[in-house]
Amino acid sequence: MTDRLDRWADPPLLVLASLADEPKHGYAITQDVAETMGVRISAGTLYAVIARLEARGLIEPLESDDRRRPYQITMAGAEVLAQESERMSKVASVARERLSIRLGWAGA
Amino acid sequence: MSGTVDPRHPGHQAPPRRRTSLLARAVLALYPPSWRARYGDEVLMLLEDSGGRLREVVSVAWRALPAWFCSPRYLRDRSARIRASLSTALISGSLLAGLALFFAQVTQFQGYTTPGYPVVGWAYVVFDVALAVSALAVGVGGLPLWLLMLRRARREQRTRDLAYVLLPVIAPVTYLTGLAVTTRLVSGPHGVSQGWFWIITLAGFVAAAVAAAGPGVAMRRLRPRGPALHLAATAAAVSAATLTVAAVAIVVAIGGMSQYSRHQDGYVSPVLVLYLVPVLVAATVTAVSAARGARAARARA
Repeated sequence: MTDRLDRWADPPLLVLASLADEPKHGYAITQDVAETMGVRISAGTLYAVIARLEARGLIEPLESDDRRRPYQITMAGAEVLAQESERMSKVASVARERLSIRLGWAGA
Repeated sequence: MSGTVDPRHPGHQAPPRRRTSLLARAVLALYPPSWRARYGDEVLMLLEDSGGRLREVVSVAWRALPAWFCSPRYLRDRSARIRASLSTALISGSLLAGLALFFAQVTQFQGYTTPGYPVVGWAYVVFDVALAVSALAVGVGGLPLWLLMLRRARREQRTRDLAYVLLPVIAPVTYLTGLAVTTRLVSGPHGVSQGWFWIITLAGFVAAAVAAAGPGVAMRRLRPRGPALHLAATAAAVSAATLTVAAVAIVVAIGGMSQYSRHQDGYVSPVLVLYLVPVLVAATVTAVSAARGARAARARA
C-alpha cells in the first residue's frame, strides 16, 4: 500500500525540497529523496522533472567541470516550494486532526 | 560505500564508477538531439552512479517519447532547426530541379508538341516561369548566407569548409566542362546515343547532389546564424513553393501528353507515370523541409 501511495508523491516537489538546503547533482538528489523522504525517483523521472523545473525557472544548473552537473533552487522555486509546503502542511494538519477525533490517533 | 567524497557536496559520496552500458547509450539515442545534448552526459553519469540497473535504464527509455512532444522551448535551437531544414531542402530541391530539367530536355528542348492539347503548352510556360523564379529566389536569398560562410571559411583558413562552400560552383563547372568534352567526343550525326544520354543524365544528378550537399555540410560545420540564415530560409520557402508549382505543371503536362498519346496511339508509356513518383516525393520533401525552416526563422526567440 505504501508503494502505491508513493506514486502520489509529486516528484517536482520532492526535487525542489531536496535542493532547498544546498545544490545537488542528479545522483545526490535521488539519494537524498530516498533517504530523507522515503521515495525512490527513477533516472528517467528525475531528468524529466529537472528539464521541466529548469524550463520554468524553478531550478538552475551550476557550472561544473564534472559530467555530474549540480542544480540549485531559484528564488521562484523557493517561493513555489514554500507555497506548496504550506498547502501540504494544512492537509497534514486536517488529516491529523480528523484521525485523532475518529481513531484517537495522536500522530508521530 | 567505498566511493570518493564529492568535493562540492561533502555530505554525498560519489559511488565507484562503472562503465556505462551500451544499452544506456542506445536508450539515450531515443531522445531528441537537443535534449540529449543538454542532459545526455548527466543521465549517463546518473545511470553509472546508480549501478546501471536495467530498471533505471528502462525508466529513461520510458520518458523518451514525451521528451519529443514536451521539449522545453529553451532547448530548441532555432538556428540548428533552420540549418537542418535548409540542408534537406537543398538536396531534395536539387533532385527536383534535376528531374524538371530532365523533363524539359526530353520534351520542350526536343520540340515535342501535342496539337489539339493546348494544356501541355500552357504547362510548359508555367513550368519555365516557376523554375526561373525558383532559381532566382535561391540565388538572391541564398547568396548572403553563402558569402557569409565563404568569408568565414577563408578568414579562419578552414580549407575543407572552403571546399564545401565552393562545391555549388565547382560541381556544375566540372560537370558542364565534362559534358562539353564528352559530347564532342561521342556525338554522331544524330547526336549522342541513348546509352551516353543516360550516362550524362546520371552524371548530372550526381553533380547536382554534390553541389547541394556542399553548403549543407558547410552549414553543419560552420553553424552560421543571424539574418543571412533567416533570409535563406525564407528564400528556400519561396523557391520550394515555385518548384512545387513546376512539379504540378509537370504533372499537368504529362497528363496532357498521356491523353494525346492515348488518342493518337491508344497507348500510354508507363515510364511517364513512373517518372512522376520521384517528382512528387521530391516536391513533398522540399516543400515540407522549406516550410519547417521558414517557420523556425519566423518564430519568436
